[in-house]
Amino acid sequence: MAGVNGDPADVNEDPATETGGGSSETGVVVDGVGKTYDGEGDPVRALEEVSFGVEDGEFLCLVGPSGCGKTTLFRIIAGLADATDGEVRLGGSPVTGPTTDMGVVFQEYHLFPWLTVEENVGFGLDRSDRSAGERAARVDEMLELVGLSEFRESYPKSLSGGMKQRVAIARALAVDPTLLLMDEPFGAVDAQTREMLQRELLDVWASTGKTVLFVTHDVAEAVTLADRIVVMAAEPGRVREVVDVDVDRPRERGDPAFGEHVARVRELIGARA
Amino acid sequence: MATDIGRELDGNGLRAGFDLGDPRRLLRGIAGIVGFLALWYLVSLTQPAYVLPSPAAVAGTFLEELASGTMTAALWSSVRHWLPGTIVGTGLGVAAGVAFAWSGLLDDVTAPLVRVLRPVPPLALIGFAIAWFGINDAGAAFIIAVGAFWINFYAAYGAVEGVSKDLLDVGRTLGVRSDLDMVRSIVLPASLPGIMTGIRTGLGRCWMLVVASEIFGVPGVGREILRASNNLLVDKVIAYILVLSLMYLLVDVAFRAAQRRVLIWQA
Repeated sequence: MAGVNGDPADVNEDPATETGGGSSETGVVVDGVGKTYDGEGDPVRALEEVSFGVEDGEFLCLVGPSGCGKTTLFRIIAGLADATDGEVRLGGSPVTGPTTDMGVVFQEYHLFPWLTVEENVGFGLDRSDRSAGERAARVDEMLELVGLSEFRESYPKSLSGGMKQRVAIARALAVDPTLLLMDEPFGAVDAQTREMLQRELLDVWASTGKTVLFVTHDVAEAVTLADRIVVMAAEPGRVREVVDVDVDRPRERGDPAFGEHVARVRELIGARA
Repeated sequence: MATDIGRELDGNGLRAGFDLGDPRRLLRGIAGIVGFLALWYLVSLTQPAYVLPSPAAVAGTFLEELASGTMTAALWSSVRHWLPGTIVGTGLGVAAGVAFAWSGLLDDVTAPLVRVLRPVPPLALIGFAIAWFGINDAGAAFIIAVGAFWINFYAAYGAVEGVSKDLLDVGRTLGVRSDLDMVRSIVLPASLPGIMTGIRTGLGRCWMLVVASEIFGVPGVGREILRASNNLLVDKVIAYILVLSLMYLLVDVAFRAAQRRVLIWQA
């Protein structure tokens, strides 16, 4: 993976640091984000003053009860929705729309069904200024990374849920984003596949050094994966607490420290405001 | 006919219909045809020829018309209506359907117009066909094009509307920035199954419209059917209906083969 750091996509980092208002802010900063939906009747406050940071190379999980605005926040961070207040900054520059500096992975995979596995992985590369040779090498590398090289010519329809999500991860990583943004990516697969994908994701994270922001409602999953867990509260959605996960990796569910963290996070989610 | 289209538009278009691949289905299909012919024959024994001629009489007329060259001339003439009418109507219908469904502005501007024009049956436009094109091939092709247009317009419109917003979001996160890139790379391929179902339905419908389009005197298969009907030559009517059926079958089988190839990712 070291070789990819010289890729053209990284050029984006230069303007980012220049326009960062003179600061050398790194990682992701969610700064006072609020969101109000003006529907019929009273406006609904979905998010209130949400602030936290994700450091470069960190694995951060976002958990919370249903209705806490996790998905709204996810879409704002990804640049797919606008915040009513506050802003999200990536490497110091405000996020104003979708950017290839973020690789986004959704729960329902959303692969392009008319494209083969390798065409899906190459979709973002086709829109970068890479040469055909670089593109092919990068696709190979990504397929290798997620262990799907022999399925490169398959169409998504013939893949299992776990394989589809691997393709989605490879597709998101192919353009070499600084941040991998994932919304309950393993929510649609069975428990066994889920644990396998969690292990694989940690491997990918370790080998690529990406910053990961991972939304989930599964507390055990968050404790398995995260360096830190942002626990949200509902109505309106806001940050209740940020929990450091001081458990050595690989983490075992039988480990007492693991259980303590799970209990602590569950308590925070269940507690009333 | 309406139920036919409904079934084909159900989305199961690839499976519906006649499948030459499965020998058991083929055998059953042949049994159905033989049974139908036998029933037809028995009933025809009880009726005069101007009510229902026997299958043999129809076959005889069919061969006579074929041998005299009348049938091939009529067919060739109808193809000259069907082909340009279908191509123009399909092309414009798909293009308009995709454009109006994708562009909110275009949709707002055209929605009332579409509501007014939609219920007009192609046959009602014969006056315009004559006034604008004359009693000729172009006039007949116009009627067919109108029929093809609406089927393809609605199929394409619905297909584009049905494209998952999430796929568009994924596209944006992967660097799709222009409308052109979005339509070409995501909207069109995602809506292609629906568009192709519309095209296929339209192809069949246009063979039916061949009869209507020749009602004002342009020569062709439809004209032969209408003229034979007026003279109570039922055997000839059936013989030319068979020509339309065979053409429909031929085109449908060919299109379905193409559809399977294009939509291989659905298989």
